[in-house]
Amino acid sequence: MLTINNLQKVYNGTTVVNIPELTITAGESVGLVGNNGAGKTTLFRMILDLIRPSKGEVFSKGISVMESGDWKNYTGSYLDEGFLIDYLTTEEYFKFIGDLNGLSGGDVAERLAPFADLFNGEILGQRKYIRDFSKGNQKKIGVAAAVLSNPELLILDEPFANLDPSSQIRLKNLLKNLREEKQMTMLISSHDLSHVIDVCERIVILEKGQLVQDMATNENTLRELETYFTV
Amino acid sequence: MFLTLLSHQWRSELRSSVFQKSIALNIILGLFIVYFGGIFLFLGFYLDDILAKIYPGQNVVTIFNGMLLVYFLIDLFFRFLMQELPVLAIQPYLHLPISKNKLVHYVLVKSVPSFFNLLPLLFFVPFMVTSVIPAFGSGMAIVWLLTLVVVTLLNNFLLLYFKRQMSNKPLYTLAFGITIVSLMLLDYLDVLQLQVISQAIFGAILVQPWLVIVPVLLLAGAYLLNFYFLKAHTYPEELRVHKAKEATGGDIAFLNRFGELGKLIELELKLIWRHKRTKSIIIMSAIFLFYGFIFYGKGNYMDGFGILIFVGIILSGMPMFNYGQFLPGWQSGHFDGLLTQRISPYQFLSAKYWMMVPVMVLAFILTLPYGFFGYKILLINAAALLYNVGVNVFIVFFFSVYNTQKLDLSKSASFNWQGVGASKFVMMLPLMVLPILIYLPFGLLDVPYAGIAAIGGLGLLGIIFQKQLLTFSANRFTAHKYKLAAGYRQS
Repeated sequence: MLTINNLQKVYNGTTVVNIPELTITAGESVGLVGNNGAGKTTLFRMILDLIRPSKGEVFSKGISVMESGDWKNYTGSYLDEGFLIDYLTTEEYFKFIGDLNGLSGGDVAERLAPFADLFNGEILGQRKYIRDFSKGNQKKIGVAAAVLSNPELLILDEPFANLDPSSQIRLKNLLKNLREEKQMTMLISSHDLSHVIDVCERIVILEKGQLVQDMATNENTLRELETYFTV
Repeated sequence: MFLTLLSHQWRSELRSSVFQKSIALNIILGLFIVYFGGIFLFLGFYLDDILAKIYPGQNVVTIFNGMLLVYFLIDLFFRFLMQELPVLAIQPYLHLPISKNKLVHYVLVKSVPSFFNLLPLLFFVPFMVTSVIPAFGSGMAIVWLLTLVVVTLLNNFLLLYFKRQMSNKPLYTLAFGITIVSLMLLDYLDVLQLQVISQAIFGAILVQPWLVIVPVLLLAGAYLLNFYFLKAHTYPEELRVHKAKEATGGDIAFLNRFGELGKLIELELKLIWRHKRTKSIIIMSAIFLFYGFIFYGKGNYMDGFGILIFVGIILSGMPMFNYGQFLPGWQSGHFDGLLTQRISPYQFLSAKYWMMVPVMVLAFILTLPYGFFGYKILLINAAALLYNVGVNVFIVFFFSVYNTQKLDLSKSASFNWQGVGASKFVMMLPLMVLPILIYLPFGLLDVPYAGIAAIGGLGLLGIIFQKQLLTFSANRFTAHKYKLAAGYRQS
């Protein structure tokens, strides 16, 4: 699905991301963990062709993301509020995303149905603009919009941050379902170690832009990660 | 403490992105200030001569006093349109152990050193030196000046109060506005002679200087009015002038017919409709439709062609220039989101193209009545429209990739320099000057109508090769998108 080849990003002489090789196969769910400044978001932005790499390339299904926009047809993503068109209402935004992906109004409603729990009655039918929602609710809108097109590849940056505990658990279950039922390939970064282990079958640790560990999750992973991050 | 707050304010001005990022803009702003300041100073020094010429045989100071009341009313009107309310700056301090009184005083005092309060001094002081001091002595003159300053500040605080009431008690503001307008109307209808009243008021100060106590008391009253109101309402959500609004406006069904292009246009129309700054561009553009009256019908302009071409370009092109100069910065807030969606750069730009073309055609149609000034104007404006649609749009697209400054859409447009960079000024030049340069050789050869045809023809060529030009613009956009996205990510 995704192949990263010798990818580097350098800002003013500091290397923020330096990944010689990383391959994610279809159906795999990968959790990206690392402290602030480890380069997670920068890596995501390079995968989404929002930042030009200093060196190397990202290939999605074998095609460089910089050369063709084909990856947009099967990739859903939400990194931050910069992805939301904040002067629209939630419905208008979902409709816009749905239209871009050729979905009818009924399709959109159907695909949003699993989000009913997560939305908790606070998202739809509010008659207010996205910019007036709280950060947590904006995140829910963004994640739902990313999933709306039923993408083969889903990329989320810190989906659990800013959410209340119930919402975190609901989102976790939702992502698990997507993985199991639709075999969605996922790339998720998180600071919440236990959630990310629950959702992902493979954990990659990034430190100062370097890929330092790459492991499959098992019952010991949480302990290993906690040991790793304990200073 | 108070000084610390003021120093924070000073730093926030100094460190605001506008001052930090663009030296060219600062120079231009500085020139503007020097220019207007110069005009005011000049007026101040020569006003006595001017007044003496217009009203021979009358006392200059009396005439000046007579105009003051009208001046202060006009001042209020302009303040209402343009003066911003200093509000949210106190938000970061509210949770700190600083007394409320201090914060409120700070907000109020902060409004004093503004453009509106300082500029009149440039005008009052020289007039005082040239006219009032010789006639009444320096002691009286200083009291007189003090009165004017106090009334200026009274205006300042009155306006702050009434403008702030606009959100929760709009009737107050309305009543205030109606009072001022009716005063001016009564004067116009000769029912009330503001000039005489004004002469009486300000003349009295020069005779009985202790009367200065009246405006001082009024000022104190206005200040306290603000003070107690603000003190009772130090919650940011109550102070904010525009609150979270209910969503308005539904789908524009007509645009659905155009598929994805229609969707993108609808998105952009909503963007324009739902932000203050974009809405004020519509108003600005509408005002510019009257631009023709400055030039049309006046012999010296009507005989030539150059100025008329310039006016024609502005008449149909102004909405596009106003909106286009910031492209695609209007969407800076969700630029990353747009880039990761299934929207090709070609679609992205052609949506903008097809949104602007109807607007320009509409502007052309609305300005058709200028044809009464001569059929020549119709011909020139038609050529200018073609040129705007065929050439200028693409010039705007060409320069748009340099607009890497994030735009803050929540603020209003008057005196809003946020996101204005040197590239804007560079861009406006070719838009307006190029067509005149195209005309120039024809004008010199004395075949002016061939020149008009050349401008129109060039526009027509652009329209015919519109697809190729859009593809070229889209490729340029793709090449520059990383730089744009990086710029918009910095707040």
